[in-house]
Amino acid sequence: MPPRVVVVGLASDFGCQVQMTNIEDQLLDVLGRIELSYWQLASSGHMPEEYDVAIVEGAVTTGEHVALLERIRATASAVIAIGACAVTGGIPALATSGSLDDHYACVYGEGDVEVACGRIAPMPITSVIDVEYRVPGCPIDMDEFTQVLSRALQGLSDCIPREPMCAICKTLENICFYERGEVCLGLITRTGCNARCITLGRPCTGCRGLAEDANLESAILLLAERGVSREDLMTRARLYNTLEEAFTR
Amino acid sequence: MFFRIMDKDRLPDLVAGLSKGFEVIGPVAKGERFVFERIETPEMLRLDYDTTLLPPKKLFFPPEEQMMRFRVADNEVVDDEVYAAPRVIFGLHPCDINALMLMDNVFLGEYEDPYYRARRESTMLIGVSCKPTDECFCNAWGTDEVHWGFDVFLTDLGDRYFISVRSVKGAELLDEFVATRDADESDTAAFQQHTRNFKNSFTDDLDTSQLPLLLDAKFDDPLWDRLGERCLSCGACSMVCPTCYCFDVTDRLEADGKTGTRVRTWDSCQFTQFAEVAHGQNFRESRASRVKYRYYHKQWGYLSKFERVLCVGCGRCARACLAGISPREVVTALEMGGAS
Amino acid sequence: MSPLSREFTANPYRPWPARITSIMDLTENEKLFEMRIIDDSVREAFQFASGQFVELSLFGVGEAPISISSAPSKQGFIELCVRNAGDVTGALHKKQCGDIVGLRGPFGRGFPFKEMKGHDMLLVAGGLGIAPLKSLINHIHDDRHDFGKVTILYGAKNPSEILFRYQFDMWKHRDDFELILTVDEPDDTWGDEVGRVTRLFDMIDIDPTNTYGAICGPPVMYRFVIDEMRKKGMDADKIYVSFERRMKCGIGKCGHCGVGHQYACIDGPVFNYWEAMNLQEAI
Repeated sequence: MPPRVVVVGLASDFGCQVQMTNIEDQLLDVLGRIELSYWQLASSGHMPEEYDVAIVEGAVTTGEHVALLERIRATASAVIAIGACAVTGGIPALATSGSLDDHYACVYGEGDVEVACGRIAPMPITSVIDVEYRVPGCPIDMDEFTQVLSRALQGLSDCIPREPMCAICKTLENICFYERGEVCLGLITRTGCNARCITLGRPCTGCRGLAEDANLESAILLLAERGVSREDLMTRARLYNTLEEAFTR
Repeated sequence: MFFRIMDKDRLPDLVAGLSKGFEVIGPVAKGERFVFERIETPEMLRLDYDTTLLPPKKLFFPPEEQMMRFRVADNEVVDDEVYAAPRVIFGLHPCDINALMLMDNVFLGEYEDPYYRARRESTMLIGVSCKPTDECFCNAWGTDEVHWGFDVFLTDLGDRYFISVRSVKGAELLDEFVATRDADESDTAAFQQHTRNFKNSFTDDLDTSQLPLLLDAKFDDPLWDRLGERCLSCGACSMVCPTCYCFDVTDRLEADGKTGTRVRTWDSCQFTQFAEVAHGQNFRESRASRVKYRYYHKQWGYLSKFERVLCVGCGRCARACLAGISPREVVTALEMGGAS
Repeated sequence: MSPLSREFTANPYRPWPARITSIMDLTENEKLFEMRIIDDSVREAFQFASGQFVELSLFGVGEAPISISSAPSKQGFIELCVRNAGDVTGALHKKQCGDIVGLRGPFGRGFPFKEMKGHDMLLVAGGLGIAPLKSLINHIHDDRHDFGKVTILYGAKNPSEILFRYQFDMWKHRDDFELILTVDEPDDTWGDEVGRVTRLFDMIDIDPTNTYGAICGPPVMYRFVIDEMRKKGMDADKIYVSFERRMKCGIGKCGHCGVGHQYACIDGPVFNYWEAMNLQEAI
């Protein structure tokens, strides 16, 4: 029996699920290896009681999300967190800086509007449950996603890269943004996206999270030498990583 | 070796001629920098380049390359052929030619690497003289000169090139595609003068005395800790290095899960996973130990096997390192008494 | 475009298909796989020394270096004692008898068997270190008349982690091998020694001028065992150690197994202590 897979979205713009629909040709091959039991974006039915692999997009923002995740964890033998929202909190987690009430008032106006059932401060799903696999990024890189899904189906270990992005960027012969006096977060950000933004001419904004191997202290010093203050660097890095402790100190 | 003279305005003839039978690759402009790329028209070739972002190793040992295609069901190789088109790399500096010869020791020695060999055998090399940049220190290793390892080498004498012809193939190409004449005494004198000027244009002379011995004697020097504090562990130095050859191998399954490719990619000893074994033990856990290993291997490990240091002084790593770590600084610190 | 065709043998990265001919559970985490290279001429050409290793290749998962556990004197088959410790070894553990795997090798420098002949032997193993050492022990066993006194010290964490116990139980009753087993954490069934393997040195009597040592075990063990051998008076260049490093390509190219100024895959994995002393960060 092929592994039964469900795709679930929490608080996000569903951009990563949209990405998944963009690889139609590969998707058909992958579908041959799995039984896609439920895909929130594409199916109207209900989530089944039993499945083997759960792919979860989005941040946790309500009590319902927490309950759903706990149910998923109890059911699935493997959980794959996809996208910045699910892995680091991403954009939704920006709401955790400052007062959550103020943010809600700002968006929905003053008053007692019930906007979400049991709302909680946004956090990545990895803060609620343990996951076997993580595919970071906003949105996810589909090459990386298919490789991770493949590993999950084979029962192999997580292979999330630990090193920053500069190496792959060098192999692509991009001209370093620092040579032009611009700030790029690639030097501390987890690699694995083929330095896509940089290759397209935009500095890295850190959507894949802080790399385990990164030397943040050294990065702070060398940016300071280039006239970029620690606070400026931290503000930039927090865009997708508000909850990253290293960026709040 | 024999020598020919080619007027500079004949250069386009040569490039256009070569393009008829070969893929011609040379330095072309990319923004403010240069890269080795296919030369579509003679004007693209920029022999006045300083250095390229990536060294020519990418043309023999690509950043990512398919080693073989496989079938999962019976664990069988479907295809491991190497396809290499005949090509000419036009415009290599002496450091980069020397670097390829250092790579040859590894890939063409014991257990010959078929992928590297196929590309190496199908490629002709045309060198060109250069001017030292601020980052260059090839003079420290004697890699500012190159005496073999190329087919043809062009030394820029202003209005003409003094051509050293090393291989029969190189001589044939010149005969076929461009008008040249024999070098006379005045050409040789001009060549000698050029060489003297070139040697004198290096402002810095790096002391490398007893370097392998110092690496052992100062193995526990605080210098390495200081460098470890600065190192970003980004691996940029390894990627841009013309002599770093370490690689990783991974299997990538096709979406159907039935077939896949075994792929090798450039790796760096600066990454934490580099020396980690399956049980989780890491033989170089600290940044300091990893920075040190890069120097230890280049200036001593490789030398212990091949009697040359694994560095040609191209300066690419110094330029690529955002933390400003450069071999010149490290070697000087070792020679001058470590961290102090 | 012209393909540069190559002989099958010309690509050192291309694994040989081999069939799993037997699988034995040794402990909860370790299995002994017997394999047979399918191609007749390759199988006949596959000559190795104790201490050498192969790259085990499972397409779709990857490769892992595994030392050979069987003796070179055993023809036609090789044995690999494999702990389930990573993706490749985990996938191997799921294989069945008759399944096909890939092998590359044999690689590296093994124990100097010829040089050791005519001498006494002191073999010391800790944990999974018995895997490569078993090849040497079996080889000595098959050429027993060529060796003097043979002493084997083997330590593990607890009785359930003692590997090849069936064989050792058999040998314990022989008088041409002195075999001492020890565990850190004994259970009720344990009748042998208790404590670290270094403690056993008080119990043995060796002729230091005529004895070769061979050590294999976890990295922390080497220094202490070597100290004991040196205290007995053994020469540094007669003590051999085998290093575990990340030998990814096996052929001195990928760089992952660097130890000091050498590569474990082609310069080792077996080094004598004099050589090892001159390798930075080795011991």
